[in-house]
Order: sequence, then structure tokens, then C-alpha cells
Amino acid sequence: MKALTNVNATSFAEAASAAQSARQQGQAVAFSAGGTDLLQQIKDGTDNADVIINLRTIGDGRSIGSDGAGIAIGGLVTLTELSQDPLVLSGLSALAQAADSVGTPQIRNVATLAGNVTQRPWCWYYRNGFNCFKAGGNECFSVNGENGQHAIFGGGPSYIVHPSDVAPALVAFDAVFQVTGPNGDREVSAEDFFVLPITNPERENSLTENELLTGVRIPTVSSSTVSTYHKIMDREAWTHAEVGVAAVIQRDGNQVQNAKVVLAGVAPIPWRVQAVEEFLAGQQIGEAVAREAGEIGLQGAQPLSNNAHKLPMISAAIERAILNLAAG
Amino acid sequence: MSEFTREGLEPLATLGNDTPRIDAIERVTGQAKYTRDWKLPGMLYARVLRSPHPHARIVSIDTSAAEALPGVRSVITYENAQVVWGAGSVNGGRQYNDPTKDATIHRRYIFNNPVRFVGDSIAAVAATDRHIAEEALTLIAVEYEQLPFVLEPEQALEEGAPQVYAEGNLCPDFRGEFAPMISNIGDVEAGFAEADQIFEERYETGFIHNAQMEPRCSLAHWQGDKLVLYTPSQGISNCRHDTARDLGLQDHQVQIISKYMGGGFGNKNQNQDADLIAATLSRRAGVPVMLEYSRREDWLGVHGRWPTVQYYRVGVKDDGEVTAMEMRAYSGMGPYRKNSGGISGMDAYGCPNRYREIHPVYTNRTTSGNFRAPSEPHGHYGVENMMDEVAYQIGMDPVEFTLMNMRRPTEQQQFTNYSLEEVIRNGAERFNWQARRRVTPGSDEGPIKRGAGFSFMMFRAGVGTSSAIVRVNANEEYTLYVGVTDIGPGAKTTMGMIAAEALEVPLSQVEVVWGDTDRCPYSVGESGSRTTIMTGIAVVEAAEDLKRQIADRGMPTGSDVLIASATPTPTTDGMTRQCFGAHFVEVEVDTRIGATRILKYTTVHESGRIINPSTARDQIRGATIQGIGQALHEDLLYDPQSGQPLTPGYYRARHLTHKDIPDIDVHFIEVDDGYGPFGAKTAGESGIILAPAAVANAVANAIGKRMTSLPITRDKILGAMA
Ligand SMILES: Cc1cc2nc3c(=O)[nH]c(=O)nc-3n(C[C@H](O)[C@H](O)[C@H](O)COP(=O)(O)OP(=O)(O)OC[C@H]3O[C@@H](n4cnc5c(N)ncnc54)[C@H](O)[C@@H]3O)c2cc1C
Repeated sequence: MKALTNVNATSFAEAASAAQSARQQGQAVAFSAGGTDLLQQIKDGTDNADVIINLRTIGDGRSIGSDGAGIAIGGLVTLTELSQDPLVLSGLSALAQAADSVGTPQIRNVATLAGNVTQRPWCWYYRNGFNCFKAGGNECFSVNGENGQHAIFGGGPSYIVHPSDVAPALVAFDAVFQVTGPNGDREVSAEDFFVLPITNPERENSLTENELLTGVRIPTVSSSTVSTYHKIMDREAWTHAEVGVAAVIQRDGNQVQNAKVVLAGVAPIPWRVQAVEEFLAGQQIGEAVAREAGEIGLQGAQPLSNNAHKLPMISAAIERAILNLAAG
Repeated sequence: MSEFTREGLEPLATLGNDTPRIDAIERVTGQAKYTRDWKLPGMLYARVLRSPHPHARIVSIDTSAAEALPGVRSVITYENAQVVWGAGSVNGGRQYNDPTKDATIHRRYIFNNPVRFVGDSIAAVAATDRHIAEEALTLIAVEYEQLPFVLEPEQALEEGAPQVYAEGNLCPDFRGEFAPMISNIGDVEAGFAEADQIFEERYETGFIHNAQMEPRCSLAHWQGDKLVLYTPSQGISNCRHDTARDLGLQDHQVQIISKYMGGGFGNKNQNQDADLIAATLSRRAGVPVMLEYSRREDWLGVHGRWPTVQYYRVGVKDDGEVTAMEMRAYSGMGPYRKNSGGISGMDAYGCPNRYREIHPVYTNRTTSGNFRAPSEPHGHYGVENMMDEVAYQIGMDPVEFTLMNMRRPTEQQQFTNYSLEEVIRNGAERFNWQARRRVTPGSDEGPIKRGAGFSFMMFRAGVGTSSAIVRVNANEEYTLYVGVTDIGPGAKTTMGMIAAEALEVPLSQVEVVWGDTDRCPYSVGESGSRTTIMTGIAVVEAAEDLKRQIADRGMPTGSDVLIASATPTPTTDGMTRQCFGAHFVEVEVDTRIGATRILKYTTVHESGRIINPSTARDQIRGATIQGIGQALHEDLLYDPQSGQPLTPGYYRARHLTHKDIPDIDVHFIEVDDGYGPFGAKTAGESGIILAPAAVANAVANAIGKRMTSLPITRDKILGAMA
């Protein structure tokens, strides 16, 4: 491991300006929230930070609270806190379940909401040090290589899948992401926060250099809204989603009024399946409808040479998530 | 659940009782000193530089910048430190054979040029702290000329394949001849002529890393011409001999200390390059050197179970009698021959006509070597899936088919005892085989399908000679000196228990001294499932001698002691000594998402008399868990374009977590064959052999499709169902 400088930030604004001044001196910078992902990347040499800006010394961004407009969640809230918070558990089941499905208890006790949403891809090429798009190169090695875990939707020129379980739930709840940078604060919708590789093959989100994610705001969900996160994993714990589905449904009895369905593990960003959402509106939740929704979820799928096995998983995951939300 | 059936066995005072390990408190309270916990005055830390290429010639290496880094004390490379690592590559994989090592054609050095796999070591640095050593590695400039590489054993034998060595990619055998390993019994062609039907299939298995918790490390400390080496070892005596041999020393000039270690599973047999590199750096720097491998280095730089491709052909009569069995197979050894590349399993059948041809092949993957039952789990998976398929194809119950065709004692080959039939019948009954298996595979309605599978084995108990010393003082305190270490099965405790039983005293009166070649006599090592029987017999004999001395001369008084030792050479009177086992599994396969869940797992083993029930049970459970991991998850994937490994480590190789592990019922049928210490046979390795075969058979029974490639991942199940 190389020698590093650690900067303990006391506020997000200070963190942003510390990042800016370090970069101005030609240093590579990384923000460290829980550090569960970042430190391993530094040890592996896939992140070459000279300066780590430690966010754990910031007092803000650690609470979950509600006001008239919705629920505000600080970026430094841990995944364990997120999965056990009464407000989240009562109104935002999919978010609690998604947080609870991440890695292991040890990781969840330390990892943060912001860090989870901004974690780098877990593509085995990127993480094994290949000079791919994500590492600043101009090739995606999965295209002609081992792509069993790679993107089925939205791929090209990079075919990573977005690794976060929490992110699809946030998109499904129409969260607004709060961002702080050297030039002040801004807000961006969850959907616009994530960017496809066609827009920027090197980064997964729209944060510019020196900007941080400080928290999210989730608009009030109606009492008739139910939600779930269904995750298919290759083992029972300690691994990312093969396929995940965050489904948020507003319903009247068993009739869908409005649905948001967002996939994890299949695209370079949390992947909204709008065709499924449109199909579901007005339908009675039941086996046939759920099955059809699962099939519709494959519209536009473009499997690579070695990942078509994810297609039946996507259908099954959508179907099972929806059936989970049937009334009574 | 676990149960021990001891009909007809006389109960003993100490043996057969659940006994906590004698070092349990030290381990769980953090007092146990593992190799990395040692700190010696002036000690340096070392790191190894490894090849980033699967195959390349080093054109030049420049270490001047690394040497100039403050804190760096020694830099060694393939140019200035050419030490042959004898156990790293041996003709025929004959690990414990000096003459074969001397005659080895393709030698391995501690640093190699050309490099032949990603992870091959080329240089090392010792520095005042770990970070400086790591930084120094980045300052070594290496110019490589990349060479073509080959990853798959079958491709490696094709004409025009990249050559790992000039002589070709078929590994030389122990005679130094480039020939496959062939075993030919009876007349297979005549057997096939007799058959009513002939079945064929190709099976494939992956690379499985040992995945023990403690990665390799080694602390070397020269005291004049004597080398003291603290290293995790599954055989301190062998490690001493290998290390002395490789460094041109006499055995007595090397002391191996391995007090506590974090598992081995075959990863820590013999000496490792880490031992030789630490010793070389320490000698040059003139101070102790601690070399540590990261998890990734341990995964790629040490070894794992060899990947195989197995082609079977089986001839069978309509009544179920097998008339001929043939296997042609390929084992991927990586670029160095650390072990045989064997593929066992066919020997468990009695069929008189059997032909087996195994090609151990060099590739540019990481090295293959010992892993708990080195030749068995992948072989049993192949042959027992083949035979299970044959049974269903001819409409027979696989258990009945096995009872009809399995190997039994013959005039020519007697067993010290034989309980395979009892083990299988007992298991079938406990598991309720008839109710759980689907007579028509894949016949469950709907996407969630259940099925059951079974597998069986016999496993030889290794041979070898060990010594033991036992001493008693006037306080009737006994001290047992045995050259064992504890890689998990509890050898220290087992030896203490055997001594207590033989001495007729409680275990609390016996102190065990272990893990230090200067204090303990020779022991065979914790490999080949032989410590309990080989070192155990020596303990019994030494104890008997001491008891005779006490009877003759009375207990010592004052500061006197009595000492006895023994170095027996036990035999089995020309008979074969085997342990026996059968595993029965019920699975549920969710065919929409390709997921396999284990609903019930029943094991029945006969390993002679069980010394310590709690450790024996855990041995079977732990090994079964490893076997399930091999069946369903583990592999080391390589990028075909670049030859880079993509999935090293626990996360990527997807080892089972606690949540994935089913309840595993363990049943022992206990017998005394009259040969081992108090009738003990062997247990340590045997538990791992059967899970890949049984789980794969159960999946086939559930979904009605044979899974011909391990691991049985989701994509393969979904592919078969598509
Ligand atoms: C074995 C293992 C299994 C895992 N399994 C899962 C899984 O199943 N599902 C899943 O979703 N995740 C999984 N993860 C990833 C895990 O969730 C992340 O490690 C964790 O969420 C990151 O949170 P952190 O606070 O530790 O982030 P850090 O490690 O501190 O940071 C992660 C990245 O985000 C950046 N970053 C951190 N905070 C901010 C911020 N406020 N603004 C901008 N950038 C920031 C960092 O610079 C870094 O690049 C797994 C990780 C491991 C090690």
C-alpha cells in the first residue's frame, strides 16, 4: 500500500474544498465514508488516491427524519441504521430491505448510504486492474471476455452493472439526491444522478470532481403505497445482486394505480423498466399479471455472449416482487 | 444431529468421549501465537514481486531504485538468488521422494525466468516495515517479452499449442518419461464386447483453492549456520528436511517451529517458496525476516485442486452388471508439477475390466497441488455421476446398482475390515432414500423440483513411520513429545488422548509438546490422513514401554524421570486398510432462477474407532461443506484473452457462507480392525470426497438433466432447462 495523506473533514463543504485544493496541487483524491470499499481499492491499486478525505469526522449527515415534504436521510447513515430505522421500515420497506441485503452485517455496520450509492463497479476486469473505461482506458474487456455478470440493458461502450442495492430502491421512491461541491449545493433527481456509459464511460454518476453526495430526500409516500426489494444472489449473503428488483406500488385493494419497478445487477445504472410500470397501471395484482410483467421486463434486453441466463432470473424476480405486493 | 454406533466395541476411559481441544482456550482468547504474531528483535518484513503475465521472458530487471529506498535492506531476484525449490515441481508429482526430486526435469526456483503463470515470483524485498517493502516492489523495473500462453489442459495438448516447456505440455512422470498415467486391469475391449449397452460422457471440474484462513507466511532467523524457521506447516519434519535439502544444509541445521496455524487443507504440506525466500533474505540481511503473503498471493501463488476433464465409457449388461469401465482424462497442473494430477473413483468398483489414462498437463494457470483428498472429490464426481446416469438409463435404483457393482474383498485383496455395504444400507435407511429419490428424474411438476442423490467411497489410510517420546516425573506428570501440528483435526488433543488411554491416566495428567523439530521426534505430517494412525501407534508403543518401566522400577522419585520412546513400523499384514463412507443428499432446485438449495444431508462413515467424537464429527461436517462449495460454487475463472485470473478470493470464488450451509447429519459406525491405535482408522480427508458427487446426482435427479460440469452454477442449470 502506498503512503497517503489523510484529511479529517468537519463538514461536507470543507471536504469539497479540501478535495479541490488537493487536486489543484496535482494529487489524486478520494472521499472515504465507511471506507469498506475504498480502502480495499487502494490496497489493490485500482484507486490511486494520494489524499483521502475522511468523512467520518463530519457531524452532519447522520440522521433520518421527516418533515412535511418527506423523509430526509443523511449520507453518512450506515446501512444497518437504514435497515432498522422505524421511519424507513414503516414507509419505505424496499429501501430497508435493500440496505439489509448488502454484503454482511460487518459491512453494513460501517458502510454508508452515500458510499453504497457511489461505490465503484465490481466488474472483475476493473477490479483486477485492467485498464478499462472505468480505470481511464478506452476498452471494455468483458465484450470479448467473461461477461456472465455484465450488463443486459444500457451497456456500451462499458458493460459494467451498477453494484448498489440501495440505489434502485432510491430511484423507485423518486428520491432527490443532495450534492455539495466547492461552488455550493445542488439537488438532482435519483434518476438523473446516475449516468449511462454512453454519456460518461468512466464514471457511474453525475457528480463532478470535488462534489459529494450529502444525503437524499424521499417525497412523502402515500399510505396506499407498498414496496419490496427482491434480490437474487449467488449465495445467501456477502455478495452483490445477480438480479435485484425494487418495486414500489401504489394500489387500491389489489389494483395497481401507479408502479415503479427498478432493476439492480443488470445495467450500468439502476434500470427502470418503464414498460412494466406502464403495463401494471390499472391491473389487478395476481399470478398471470405478475408473470406477464416479468416477460415484459425483458423488452429491450441485449444479452452478451455469456449472460443470457440472467433473462429468466429477471422475469422471475419481477414476477416474485410483484406477487409479494399483493394485498392480504 | 450426530450419532455413534459402537456395537461390540469395548468402552474406553478417555477415547470416545467428547473432549475439548487442549489448546482451545489459547485459541479463543487470542493467546495462541501464530506465525505472524512472532516478533523478533531487528526483524524485517518482506514482500514478493510476482509476474503480471501468464507467460513471459524477463528481458531485464533493475532493482537499483528499490535498493536506494530508505529502509530497504535486501533485494533478491531470479538473477542473484537461484534456489531450487524441490517440492515446487517434481517429476510425477512425487512430493516426498528425494531421488525423484534430484532427477526432476522441470525444476522450479524460488524466482523464475521465464515466468509461467500470473503470480510466478521473480524477486523479493526485505525492509524495515511492510509499507516500505511494498513501495520498494513498485520501484523494481522489469522488462518482459510476453510469450503465448495456454490455459486449458486439452488445448495444451493440441498441435501448435503454446509450449510451457520446450519438451511439450504433457508432464513427465516419475521416471522422467513424457507419458500419461495408465492403469489397465483385465481386458476392457472384451468387457465392452460383453456389454448390452455402452454409455459415454464427458465431465469437467474446476480449480478449487484450499481457502484456509491463514495465508502463507514465514519468519526466518539464522543463528550462525542454523536456520530457525517459524512457519505454518502440516508436517514440520518434512518441512525441515525439504528446507535443509533446498538450502544445502543438514536436517539438524534447520529448526521448524509451527505452534499454531490457521488451517491447511493441503496448502501447507512440505516447505513453501515463502520459507526459502525468507531464509535467503534473512541470510543476506543478517537479521530475522518475516515474509507474508496477501490473500490474493496465497490464492494465486501457492496452489489448489487441479481442474480436470474426464471422458468415461461404461459397458453394462441389461441386468445391471458392469462389464467394462474406461476413463481418459486431463488434469491441469499449472506450469509446475507439485502433485500427481490423479483422478480417483473408478477403484471403488469391482468391474474386472478397467482402463484409466490420465494426462497431467502443463498450462499457464496457477499451480495445482495438494488439497484434502487430492485425487478424489473430482474423480468421484465424474465416475459416480457417470454410473448414476447409467443406473437411471437402465432403470435401476443407483443404490442397488452400486451394491451390485462396487468393489468387495477378494481372495487376492483382503481388507483389514470391510463395511461399505453396511455404510450404504445404513445411510439409505436413515435418509429414507426410497421416499426421497425420484424414480423418474425431473418428474416434479412446476418450476421448483426436488430430488435425491447419493455417493459412496472407500479411502486408503496412508502409511509412514513416526516416533513418540513420553516421560514421567515423580509427580506422575506425563509429557508427550510428538512432532505434530494442528491444522484443524485436533492432532495435539488426539495424541494426548491416546497417551492418556494407553497410560491409564486422565488427560489432565498429560502435557503434549508439539510443533518444534528441535523438541519433538519425527512425525509423518498432517497429510494423507495418517497422523492419528501412524503417530498414534508410536504413542501407544512408547506408553506401553513406559508402563513396563514403571512396573519394573516403580514411579520415579525426587528429580528422577523415566523416559520411553518408540518408532514402530506398523503393517496391515498385506491387507488394504480403508475407511468407508456414503453421503445422501436431497436438493430443491428453483429452475426459474437456477438456484440449488440443500434440504437434507446425511453422512455415514466408518473410520474405525473414533478417538474424539466432537472433532471427528466436525471433520466430516467441515469437509462436507468444502465439498458442497466445490459442487455448487467454487472455481477460478480466467480471462481467455489475457490469461488473467478473474475470481481469486473468498468473495469472487463464492465460498459458502453460514447461511448457505445445511444441517449435516453425521453418523459413525465404529469398529476395531485390530490394526490402528485402539482400532482408529482415518477420517480427516474422507469427508470431502463425496459431496460433489452426491450433490450433482441429486440435482440431476431433481431436474432430469445431468450436470456434467462443476461447479453447478445457475447459468448451467438455466442453460440445461432452456
Ligand atoms: C464483500 C463485499 C460484499 C458487498 N456486497 C454488496 C452488496 O451485496 N450490495 C451492495 O450494494 N454493496 C455491496 N458491497 C459494497 C458495499 O456496500 C460498499 O462497500 C459500501 O456500501 C460502501 O460504503 P462505504 O461508506 O464504506 O463507502 P467507501 O468505501 O467509503 O466509499 C465507496 C466509494 O464511494 C465514494 N464516496 C464515499 N462517500 C462519498 C460521498 N459522500 N460522496 C461522493 N463519493 C463518495 C468513495 O470515494 C469510494 O469511491 C459489498 C462490499 C464488500 C466488501
